[in-house]
Amino acid sequence: MQQDVIGSGSGSGAVATRTNDDALSSYVGRLVRAREFGIFCGALALFVLLSILTPQFATPENLFNVVRQISLLGIIAVGMTFVFISGELDLSVGSMYGFLAVVMAQLTINGGVDPFLAALTVIAMGAGLGLVNGTITTRFAIPSFIVTLGMLAVLRGAALLTSGGLPVSGLEAPTYRLVTSSYLFGLVPAQAVWLILIVVAGAWLLRRTRFGYDVYATGGNPTAARHVGINVARTKTMCFVITGALVGLASAILIGWLRGTSPLTGEAFELDVIAAVIIGGTNLFGGSGSVTGTFLGAAIIGMLSNGLVLLGVSAYWEPVVKGAVIIIAVLVSVTVRRRQKV
Amino acid sequence: MAEHTSGRDHSRAAGRPVLAARKVSKRYGHVQALVDADIELFAGEVVALVGDNGAGKSTLTKVLCGAIAPDAGEVQVDGQTVRFASPRAAKQHGVAVVYQDLALVDSRDVAHNVFLGDVPVRGLTVDRRRMYREARAALDALRIDIPSLHTPVGALSGGQRQAIAIARAVREGGRVVIMDEPTAALGVQEQRKVLRLIQDLSTAGKAVLVISHNLEHVFGVADRIVVMRSGRVAGTRRKADTTPEEIVRLIVGAAELQPAEG
Repeated sequence: MQQDVIGSGSGSGAVATRTNDDALSSYVGRLVRAREFGIFCGALALFVLLSILTPQFATPENLFNVVRQISLLGIIAVGMTFVFISGELDLSVGSMYGFLAVVMAQLTINGGVDPFLAALTVIAMGAGLGLVNGTITTRFAIPSFIVTLGMLAVLRGAALLTSGGLPVSGLEAPTYRLVTSSYLFGLVPAQAVWLILIVVAGAWLLRRTRFGYDVYATGGNPTAARHVGINVARTKTMCFVITGALVGLASAILIGWLRGTSPLTGEAFELDVIAAVIIGGTNLFGGSGSVTGTFLGAAIIGMLSNGLVLLGVSAYWEPVVKGAVIIIAVLVSVTVRRRQKV
Repeated sequence: MAEHTSGRDHSRAAGRPVLAARKVSKRYGHVQALVDADIELFAGEVVALVGDNGAGKSTLTKVLCGAIAPDAGEVQVDGQTVRFASPRAAKQHGVAVVYQDLALVDSRDVAHNVFLGDVPVRGLTVDRRRMYREARAALDALRIDIPSLHTPVGALSGGQRQAIAIARAVREGGRVVIMDEPTAALGVQEQRKVLRLIQDLSTAGKAVLVISHNLEHVFGVADRIVVMRSGRVAGTRRKADTTPEEIVRLIVGAAELQPAEG
């Protein structure tokens, strides 16, 4: 009677090496092997390097300033992480951000609408636009690259039409500004608090809930996901809706922060958002990635921009460095994935 | 491996089939894919479905698992006539199909794949402890040994992946497990492990249907062999009462006039 068991190796003398899965050693091993760990090390190395190169970098004021600078980028990138993991792409976020910022400014400054109500309105509008992106993509099986490229153009036009091509400015709303751009304890920017809230909520939704599990399955193997009864189209669409709502939130915070906007706000912003997600280790083709990684990716982008300014490097170098970092991040990610066969 | 059959003869005598097709026919345009085909699957028994390409094996399988509706004839579960609207409906009746490569999400770990689409939830969140505990239990019940439940399945071998897909089918309540070419594309060692797993499934009281081209495997694992030819069931033989030569004759048609059910 054969007694060999599936998975115990190929040799006849293979001994099953099953240990307690939750043993501390394997937990630490998993932690070290996790993709976020590598990205964390990269971010830490950059942090140490900049701290050594420039004394102004590692001060609390400057670091909080960095977080404030990446806050809106980070909020939108959390949504983009969902879209990426589900196996799709949203190129319309930059234009959507510009359009919804114009709507927010028009409503509050010219329309006299309460800013909190206006904020809820643009969040709902963002969710609605995400629903359109997701529905067209899934219902008609058109690549999201194309659907959202079209939406990118449409919404930039809408931003220009809504504003007449002119900047809108002059928001007077002390309470609203307190919530969106004050400093907690005189130190922590409100934008940073919003970012942390969204990152924590996003990470929880993706890692802990059934919906998050469905997102990974949908992007990892849509056929298998469908086979086990996951509604792939609805899952993908929800990712677009979440992204749209977060774009709405970001534009609402932007108006509280800058008290106005230009219709060109957010041009090419989608590229920064995608860069944060990619540097954060999320798979371009879906199935894996994390909100924590995206946060670290956004932090790396923020530290780079800030560090280059502090070092007195010409601003023209910024895109060069950023682009190089994206390529390096993808190279590392692809190499690691190949070695792990996942 | 041959001693398995004798001990399980009682299961057939024990009563009605868990899953059966009665005189099912299916036509695709001008092609009559299935003509009055009958098949019965009993608990604790492995049935092999063999036949040349285009003989109707996969059409019959699709009827059994709810992927297509037959033009005529009926499908019965526990003697009751059923109409499966979809494979999911079939799954609810305990009929599960295991696909070798379509079923798994490579980037997710073993436990996630055992619970794919059906994770245990506690309140708002996934009950991860229960998921890992029950995934381990599901694998143990089938004597599947995979060192860590945290390994992404993309890093596992073909046989291990097959085993995980089977464990999921059983965990979902599958009483009938249908496997399409379970040993194709596997190494020799892995093939043997999957064959052993198939026997374990039948020992555990599952009705198993294996579609295979490999007669050596068929004779190694099946209790009964159903041969299809040109959309018809050309013959059903108990393994103990037949030879590979006779099965080959049935497959190619030279023995068609012999009485079915020897």
